[in-house]
Amino acid sequence: MVEREAAELFEEFKELTASEFFRRNKQMLGFTGKIRSLTMVFHELITNSLDACEEAGIQPELTIDLKRLDKDHYILKHTDNGPGIPEDYIGRVYCTMFAGSKFRNIQSRGQQGLGCSGCVLLSQMTTGKPSKVVSGYYDGTKLKGVELTFKMDVKKNQGLILDRKEVDLTKTGVSIELHYKDVSYSLSEQGAFEYIRRTMIANPHAKIKFRDPTGQIFIFDRATDIIPPLPKEVLPHPRGVTADDLIFMAKHTDKRRFRSLLTSSLSRMSTKRVNEIEKETGIDLNKRPKDMTWEEAERIVELFTRMDFMAPPTSGLIPIGKEQIENGMREILNPEFISTTTRKPKTYRGGVAFVIEAGISYGGGSGRLIGEQKKSEIMRFANRVPLTFDQGSCAITEALKSIDWKRYGIKDLENSPITVFVNIVSTQVPYLSTGKQSISPEPEILHEVRQATMKIARSLQKYIRAQKAAKEAALRSKIFESLVPVIIREAAVLAETDVPEYDSVLAKVTRRAKFENLELESEGEDE
Amino acid sequence: MSREKTIKNRKEITVNKLKGLGETIIDEINQNNVPALKVPSRGTSNIIYDEDKRYYVLGDRYGKRSLGNVKQVPKLAQMVYVANFCKDLVKRGKTATLREMYYVSEGWDVDFGDQQESNIVGEDLEVTLGTTREDLGLMPEEDGASVYGNLIMQEDDVEINALKLGKSGYTISPTIDDVKFVDHGVERVIAVETMGMFHRLVQENAYKKFNTLIVGLKGQAARATRRFLKRVNQELNLPVYICNDGDPWGFHIAMVIISGSAKLAHVNHDLATPDAKFLGVTASDIINYDLPTDPLKDIDVLRLKELSKDPRYRDEQWQMEIKKMLKIGKKAEQQSFSKYGLEYVVDTYLPEKLNAM
Repeated sequence: MVEREAAELFEEFKELTASEFFRRNKQMLGFTGKIRSLTMVFHELITNSLDACEEAGIQPELTIDLKRLDKDHYILKHTDNGPGIPEDYIGRVYCTMFAGSKFRNIQSRGQQGLGCSGCVLLSQMTTGKPSKVVSGYYDGTKLKGVELTFKMDVKKNQGLILDRKEVDLTKTGVSIELHYKDVSYSLSEQGAFEYIRRTMIANPHAKIKFRDPTGQIFIFDRATDIIPPLPKEVLPHPRGVTADDLIFMAKHTDKRRFRSLLTSSLSRMSTKRVNEIEKETGIDLNKRPKDMTWEEAERIVELFTRMDFMAPPTSGLIPIGKEQIENGMREILNPEFISTTTRKPKTYRGGVAFVIEAGISYGGGSGRLIGEQKKSEIMRFANRVPLTFDQGSCAITEALKSIDWKRYGIKDLENSPITVFVNIVSTQVPYLSTGKQSISPEPEILHEVRQATMKIARSLQKYIRAQKAAKEAALRSKIFESLVPVIIREAAVLAETDVPEYDSVLAKVTRRAKFENLELESEGEDE
Repeated sequence: MSREKTIKNRKEITVNKLKGLGETIIDEINQNNVPALKVPSRGTSNIIYDEDKRYYVLGDRYGKRSLGNVKQVPKLAQMVYVANFCKDLVKRGKTATLREMYYVSEGWDVDFGDQQESNIVGEDLEVTLGTTREDLGLMPEEDGASVYGNLIMQEDDVEINALKLGKSGYTISPTIDDVKFVDHGVERVIAVETMGMFHRLVQENAYKKFNTLIVGLKGQAARATRRFLKRVNQELNLPVYICNDGDPWGFHIAMVIISGSAKLAHVNHDLATPDAKFLGVTASDIINYDLPTDPLKDIDVLRLKELSKDPRYRDEQWQMEIKKMLKIGKKAEQQSFSKYGLEYVVDTYLPEKLNAM
């Protein structure tokens, strides 16, 4: 047997580009299953549009048109009214994986830069067809319009323009047209329609017009004109960084000393703390950042866990707010009753700030209609983005399940017309998996979800109780008003006498009924 | 007082009681009060064994049916309706079954959930007024026992001789209170559990031999049967003997005739015949006559133990028989005497037992 030389072997070794990697591992982008794949496409496109509009201070208005050409073959046309994408960037946005900066410690709808290019990749992989983007944007004061037809060159991780046209547009925005096969439009809880509905609840400032494959048009109107303020970037807290993060910062910094890198890149990092670190670890912090070794970074991170720091700043967190959640839920669910709450910021793992918001709605369009029966539904969100998959392992589900709902007058949560809304707001949402569909059950998060939900459940309980009491009081009055005259009439027949005047007795008993309607039921009963 | 008069009187009393119920309510209304009826409680804790009377009676506890209580108002309405219905029945000399009343109630301004509910309201009315269901004109569905023997009765204009109605005899009607006893030529009454034994006694001319009425109970005695036995015992001064199967169920059929049932505690004064005697089959009979037996089943043993704690069985004789049956672990049917020939029960057993009484 002839041994092969190393050089020969390495001829076959190629570096995988990000695009090529994800082409081979599309499940890592969340594209598993026909229904889920389409939902993820909606998710990426909607998220991107909302982010773009908000950054530009525009009230988002999306038009989504899903046409079915054949079984499992769809054309998706997604249009927004955002600021548009300058021509030079279109290729990068839609064809390059990992375009974007990793170290913005900012509350965002949370993509790794895979989003739009992932959608293009899936389209290309399932249909082989090119994608088309129309972008309207201002170049200086001039409105420009361009239409590009392109493919993704997977090997090079960049776009391949097939056609370019200048178009006349009246406003800014992006419109993308994508072909898909091997996906499926579904009305289930995991489907694309439900994804839009939930997005609208958490984003009451947006408007979405959606045409489904049957041609039916749904208009989800905005429930508020207030565009949420842009989250501010906050420096990461020492407890929230890893050795890898430190090395990355060291590589990309313009600071000359490691000492100044620490104070400028991390929050709650005073000179006093830096001196402490120097003393404890014995590392010379005056050296140049790029001379920092992995081993040293590890030691510093280890020390962070033992040092006392102030809790991280919470100024970067922008919750939806209880009023806006209420607006969103009212608009979409039109419930009988609603209660919402936004908790104060807390931290998990000692260094990551988060806020829990919750809403509960009852009656009206709350819950899901399954057959004839209304079932309760749990809507989970992270930074306003609906989490539709992996419900079982999520901290939100776990926290809600641990609540003793009977204590809140809800005998059977599962079979009640109730929608529970929970949103976690954080610069770093602790997802359990790459699909970003479930939250890690951190004790502090579980606690906050429970507290928030129990608070609003108490309001619901009051409402249900009052409803029940009012219903019973009405029923009681009705019983008296219908039966007392009958009894007196029949008694008069029995006694062979005239029917006496009984208005005052009737008034007496009906009034008493109203006052005593919460009295013990068994009183005066036979055993 | 003649029976004719008694019957008329009973009717009058019933109508007056019903009228009084209506008056109670109207009076309260006139005084601007919220009317409430007191309904004696029929819960187990209010059923008391009366040692002197030797049957169950109702205690003093009662529940209320108030016009001011939302849960009681429908019951009150039902009760007044039923009262009017009954008053009409009694006045017109008619009767209706509970089922018929249930259907009539469809036209009323108050609902009955089911027939059980209307039955309960009927009972409420019975206990409230202290009168029997039969007096109110409400009749059970089932007929009573068969009677054979020299007893002449009159029902409306028809004269009935229980000796001349064929071998199956006279069937006791639910309206037994409307029947007059005209004449008789007997010294006693023998009631037997099964119609098999009834026909045996008829065939063997027991009615002649013992100068007796023969009553075939057909299992647990119907209200009309118990009322009949009470009346022949009281009005005609005839001793009543009961002969059943030799098992706990036979014992209890006899005991309900003698001391009444707990469930009908409110009317036992009209139904119980405390002087009636249990003839057999006793556990002693099983031993003395060496009868063919079956082993006691678990449920028989359980029932015997229950009976031994029942105040109606406090009597020494009963306690002894129950213990004995538990000890031998055996039971025997009435008809097991035919081991010694079909005539044995009439020729030997009954004479011996009657003599011993």
